[in-house]
Amino acid sequence: MARVVAAMAMTHSPGLTGWFTRASREYQELALQATAEMRRRLEAARPDVLVMFTNDHLLNWPINNMPEYTVGIGEEHVGPAEWFDEWLAMEKYRVAGHAPLARFIVNEGARRGLALSYLREMQFDDGISVPTHYLNPDARFCLVPVTMNCTVPPIPTPERAYQVGSRLREILAAYPGDERIAVIATGGLSHEPGGPRYFWVDEEFDRWFLDLLKRGDHTALLRECTLERMEAAGSGGTAELLAWVLVLAFTRGPADVLAYMPAVAWRSGTGMVTWNEMA
Amino acid sequence: MGNVERCDKTLPINEMIFHVRRDAVLRARFLSDLEGLAREFKLSRAEYEALRDKDPRRLMDLGVHQYYVPQILRLFFGAAHNSNASAALECYRRAYPEETAQAMALEERLERSR
Repeated sequence: MARVVAAMAMTHSPGLTGWFTRASREYQELALQATAEMRRRLEAARPDVLVMFTNDHLLNWPINNMPEYTVGIGEEHVGPAEWFDEWLAMEKYRVAGHAPLARFIVNEGARRGLALSYLREMQFDDGISVPTHYLNPDARFCLVPVTMNCTVPPIPTPERAYQVGSRLREILAAYPGDERIAVIATGGLSHEPGGPRYFWVDEEFDRWFLDLLKRGDHTALLRECTLERMEAAGSGGTAELLAWVLVLAFTRGPADVLAYMPAVAWRSGTGMVTWNEMA
Repeated sequence: MGNVERCDKTLPINEMIFHVRRDAVLRARFLSDLEGLAREFKLSRAEYEALRDKDPRRLMDLGVHQYYVPQILRLFFGAAHNSNASAALECYRRAYPEETAQAMALEERLERSR
């Protein structure tokens, strides 16, 4: 049976590649050190596949038909999408998919009451591209991308994300292969992409949220970190942390917060986190 | 709930920008024939004018999804190495002077505190 061997989360702000040097040297160094540490831990865990959870920034689906979750089931994934080439200032990357696992997730999800859309060809914005640049630069790990709706009303609640994460944990464990899997959440922390507070970050919220992760008490986090609280800390953007809450369901105990930067220059509270114990 | 709740999911601009971003031909027409494009996607006059005037506040008041607003500014100003930063910032400064000034003050404060 497949086994989840690592769980991590990081910000995917386009500034982390597109205009990296506009932040202070201190933040640049912190971000480089933290992502290098994530990569080191990832390599030590020896996963075959990265299952990445992130929001779709209205790129793969139009606003009239936004699924809650979408699984990329292609044999290969190529990014960034053309529209994001200059914005992210990245070379194109090609990463092998894991079609059997991706298709299993979709079909087993249906059997277990989880409606997961899928795409054979997915377009990639910062959500997958920025973490791929830092964590899988040589494309050594296969990728199963899973996008989620964190920005088109009605935005799902943290409870729902955690519930889906728990269901996906069961599904991955039921996969009839000996794959080693890393689950990675991307997005957050506080930001309000395009809203009136576009250039703002909420440091107080970010540190509070990261402290909740350090405590490792899932019930307390779900009770205190409501969707309303996320929205107050940056509408339509901070709720990307739903991906982190989903991955939380794969873990047990406290998270290691590797770095936090209230990086206004990158237009996002920026953080990197790993968990040591899998549920 | 927050600002994103104000979006009108049925507003024609929100459909139009999805297609324009993904299609190089439509992106070129966005710059050369915005009015014609707006007609084809059935935008109202108010939508077209807010788009033409690159006005974040009017766009959001009409119900444009907030994420699409900077994307619209990128369509106008380009994206190379985030060169639209100052142009986008200027549009937001005009539309939301108070919020943008607070964000800039925060950045200065954070810079100074290091």
